[in-house]
Amino acid sequence: MHEAKLCLSLLDLAERALRAEGGQRIHALSVEVGTLSGVAPEALEAAFPICARGTPAHGARLRIERTEGRELLLRDMEVS
Amino acid sequence: MCGLCGCESHLHGPDHDHDHGPSSHRHVKVERSLLEVNDQRARALVQRLEALGVEAIGLLGGAGSGKTTLLEATLARLGDVAREAVVEGDCATDLDAQRIAARGVRVVQVTTGALCHLDAALVEGSLAALDLRGVARLWIENVGNLVCPAAFACGESRRAVVVSVAEGDDKPLKYPALFATADVLVISKLDLLPYTDFVVERCIAHARAARPGLRALPLSARSGEGMEAWLEWVEKRA
Repeated sequence: MHEAKLCLSLLDLAERALRAEGGQRIHALSVEVGTLSGVAPEALEAAFPICARGTPAHGARLRIERTEGRELLLRDMEVS
Repeated sequence: MCGLCGCESHLHGPDHDHDHGPSSHRHVKVERSLLEVNDQRARALVQRLEALGVEAIGLLGGAGSGKTTLLEATLARLGDVAREAVVEGDCATDLDAQRIAARGVRVVQVTTGALCHLDAALVEGSLAALDLRGVARLWIENVGNLVCPAAFACGESRRAVVVSVAEGDDKPLKYPALFATADVLVISKLDLLPYTDFVVERCIAHARAARPGLRALPLSARSGEGMEAWLEWVEKRA
């Protein structure tokens, strides 16, 4: 299982996008998970709150959208 | 897009209550892949290897599918082993590296511990311990796993996915993600065919459902059957 590692990639992408926006906190994230991406959404959901601890995404809501392909995308975020 | 208010957010479904949070919250579009860090590193590695005149071939498949035995038989048939080098990925031990080193081939073992796959950073790091001078081909044998390696490019230019007769012809159906990344399907341990219910054509059809037109090479590293066609693929002669 490598979802925790992917979670760290997710947070890395999210924090870079947050900094680019000049934001302080991430309140919600929307992620697209393709069925051929090899990622289990449940495992990502379980890993996220733990990986996000102490980051600007601490306590953020994770919304996962399932698609058919191989995509594994951070689509958008709600920040302040 | 939110169908009710027309906002661009994917953060809520069509039934959301229009609470977009406090007005100080704002929406940021990102649209970037979680795998892009590894993908970028893998592309850079392919370029670095190409600049050295090295082509990397990924060997992937389940644990016990015969990847290392295929590699041994391949190295035994290729003319000049000084032109070959190997990265071996396993969770523990350097048993595979010992097998390759016994053939006089340059090899480095990557021991991943609990990690279920190689990635570009692991392969890149391992190359520091590998002298690539005079090498034309780098073999990257991934951790035996039909699931996780699918998403992680490792610097290989071509991928061979190995499924053995002993595993069953339904494997490409059960693990389509890995087979969808294959450049060639190797059906190994063909000498065991009489002892199983494995149907070669069925396995190929399942793999082609994941990757249309995928080339299939049934072979036995032990008997040598089918090895010539495999070597042609390896050496890009066919």
